[in-house]
Amino acid sequence: MPSVLLTSIVVLFAITSCFKKDADFQGKELNIAVKAQVKGMDPIYSDDRYSSTEVARVYEGLLEYHYLKRPYQLQPNLAEAMPEVTDNGLTYTFKIRKGVLFHDDAAFPGGKGRELVAEDFVFSLKRLSDPKLLGNGWWTIDGKIKGLNEWREKYNKLPQTDYTEEIEGLRALDKYTLQFKLTKPFPQFLNVLAMPFASAVAKEVADKYGKELLNHPIGTGPFKIKNGVFRQSNRIEYLKNENYRKKTYPCEASEEFSKEYLKDCGKQLPLVDRLTSHIIEETQPRWLNFLKGKVDFVEPDKDNFEGALPTGNELSPDLKAKGIQLMISPYLDITYTALNMELDLFKNNKKLRQAMLLAYNVNESNKLFYNNTGIPAQSVIPPGLKGYSKDFQNEYRGAGKAEQIAKAKELLKEAGYPDGKGLPVITYNCTSTTDAKQIGEFFQKQMAQIGINISVIQNPWPRLQEKIKNRQVMTHGIAWGADYPDAENFLQLLYGPNRAPGANGSGYDNPVYNKMFEQVAVMQDSPERTALYEKMNKMIAEEIPWIFGVHRQNTGVVHGWVTNFVQTDFEPGRSAYLSIDVEKKKALLKGL
Amino acid sequence: MKSTAVEASNYSDTKGKKAQKPKSLWGHAWTQLSRDKVAMLSLTIFALYTLVAFLSVTGLIASDWKNEVGLSYGVPSRDHWFGLDIFGRSVFAKTIKGTEVAMSVGFVVATISACIGIIFGSFAGFYGGKIDELIVWFYTVVSSVPNIMLVMAIALISGKGIHSVYLALGLTTWVNLCRLIRAEVIRHKDREYVQAAAAIGGGDFRKLFKHVLPNVFHIVIINFTLTFQIAIKSEVILSYLGLGVQGRPSWGVMINDAKLELARGYWWQLAAATFAMFFVLLALNILGDALRDSLDPKLKGK
Repeated sequence: MPSVLLTSIVVLFAITSCFKKDADFQGKELNIAVKAQVKGMDPIYSDDRYSSTEVARVYEGLLEYHYLKRPYQLQPNLAEAMPEVTDNGLTYTFKIRKGVLFHDDAAFPGGKGRELVAEDFVFSLKRLSDPKLLGNGWWTIDGKIKGLNEWREKYNKLPQTDYTEEIEGLRALDKYTLQFKLTKPFPQFLNVLAMPFASAVAKEVADKYGKELLNHPIGTGPFKIKNGVFRQSNRIEYLKNENYRKKTYPCEASEEFSKEYLKDCGKQLPLVDRLTSHIIEETQPRWLNFLKGKVDFVEPDKDNFEGALPTGNELSPDLKAKGIQLMISPYLDITYTALNMELDLFKNNKKLRQAMLLAYNVNESNKLFYNNTGIPAQSVIPPGLKGYSKDFQNEYRGAGKAEQIAKAKELLKEAGYPDGKGLPVITYNCTSTTDAKQIGEFFQKQMAQIGINISVIQNPWPRLQEKIKNRQVMTHGIAWGADYPDAENFLQLLYGPNRAPGANGSGYDNPVYNKMFEQVAVMQDSPERTALYEKMNKMIAEEIPWIFGVHRQNTGVVHGWVTNFVQTDFEPGRSAYLSIDVEKKKALLKGL
Repeated sequence: MKSTAVEASNYSDTKGKKAQKPKSLWGHAWTQLSRDKVAMLSLTIFALYTLVAFLSVTGLIASDWKNEVGLSYGVPSRDHWFGLDIFGRSVFAKTIKGTEVAMSVGFVVATISACIGIIFGSFAGFYGGKIDELIVWFYTVVSSVPNIMLVMAIALISGKGIHSVYLALGLTTWVNLCRLIRAEVIRHKDREYVQAAAAIGGGDFRKLFKHVLPNVFHIVIINFTLTFQIAIKSEVILSYLGLGVQGRPSWGVMINDAKLELARGYWWQLAAATFAMFFVLLALNILGDALRDSLDPKLKGK
């Protein structure tokens, strides 16, 4: 017994001393709040905002978006320069940056990270296409690289994928030269290469860990995960990558960024020594942690919004007094309830879908859940992208008017379900937080007006995604944020061949739409393309595979000690540019 | 010799009854209980809750809880005593609907738990030996798993909803009663009256259910009231965690919603659910104590 007691005292002491060391940490540390569980850190599975952001702290791709340029502009990251494009936009030749090292790991000889070579990208993209691994990002390059689809098809039938087989469109010409050959012009190809899906993974690491790569993120990025292992817990800790290549803070910025943003010009990245991602799913603890200074920035949730921004566009005086700053920018995103279009119930029943959209009062949902800051969505393309037409009104867009409810009831009757009779109970899947449940209840209530019964089912975020991927949902509430600033990224959400496990979670598959998409996907930016985007957008507005929600606004509140903070639609990669003013933090913390 | 003694005692018993009309155990307990004002108040409160639950089940009250009766988060007023929730629904009506859930969970769970507890406990105590060992082993295993984990596991396996709440709580709350019954039955099974029953040819079943069980039944009643309130509390916790009832109001769901609203200063949903819970739990606790005082022979006259 005494020995047990002694051990526990020692353990206790060890724990407290651990904490003490933490408090004494003098360097710069970023604390970031993450809204959902991170399902793992393998680039090929990082198809949601939360995991792709975490993945991008450790992994890097060929290209990235310039941190301080708007409209968004691509720049080389692991590539030495922008690629040489020849052959009428079908051949892309990249020079890879020399001297880039992978993080140290036991997978490499001697435990020292080796130099990145062009072959690593060939390997990584093959991995993304591997039919055995079923990477979630396959849709980004599906049908676009010469020989890749054939390679995938071939090994789909064979027991083992052979990565050594050469693919015509994906080759390393020498140690530092990488060449892509496309099957057809693909204007968004470079944008795709900037997504975390296309990050460089080392073959040694993938061989060593196999499926466990999900928990062993070893990349070339500015941060490396502490102890080399990702664990499902409520915090993910990163340390600065000491062997990071020479990459410096930009010295140029678009006009909208003040001089303040250029103070760190030329400094080696990353600017902080440590980074911790705190996974806080519920809104209230997230906000309280922010107020206590435990996390550096958050978006005010619906319930704290009024308190933080009494007028809707300005911070409350007490928050201002604490040195907190406000950053508002539109998001390139859309919230929606996807209907499972593979079910006969929805597939053959446009009138039912139209009735549902008519019965859904978007203004009320905007008020209750987005503090009236969102823009009601008429279709799929958000404002800020070509293809969005400001004056377009979806005739089925419900706004709570009595005549709309009457019309919805009429349509439901025509669909063969007078007052909802004959309809099964429709399940609605959402995440497990309280506000998600309230959004579900709201949907339930709106549908009840016309006699449709909805049952709300809550799931943890990774489980919800799994269910969507396996087509086990009737309807689900979700949102899509842009991967790149082009409407194509939204329109592909409804392209038939992108069905789950691809990004098309509703499984909408319309030959006419698919054909238009294939046509538009190879067009360069032009008035014709914009016209086609608009046409497709209007087509979806009438087809209603989703109950459209709102285009949200990105409202961020940031503590005064965070410098270089910008709002961005492409959060992956941002953390390397953020910095902390340690002295100011000490001073401001006293006032919290 | 033995048989005459029994006859004699029987005779004197019947004779005494006719002469003085002594009260039965239950009659005596009721007299004692009715003298305790606090206990009677608790009983009234409990009866009121039961009545509300009944009226709610039959749809006579609060059947319109889904309706929007005012603005989102309307403050408590004369029209809406407990204010309105996010969708403008009456918190009062939701509280009543929550009462229905709570009382039904309390009743069903306490019944399930009493049935399991009585059957296992009396068999273990009466037969002893291998059966006893098996049952004791079983309830030791069940009670060594943290209750809330077991409840969560059952709720996750059998799906969410009120039925799995019944099941989950019913299957986890019987151990206490089982232990008590077992001990009491062991004490009683060799008593003279049981031997007498055996002597006149009563089988095991008759001895156990006709003779022993009525003599230990006060434990069941006391335990019933306590399990009732534990079940209500657990239902609230389960619903708060999102594992309880779905798509209908429950106090736990209301408290879960309230944790967001509190940030805006909307306290009424939390207050309504908490007070509703507080009164019934307090009443049941006091009632349980008072019942023990009046029913437990060991405490008689103290």
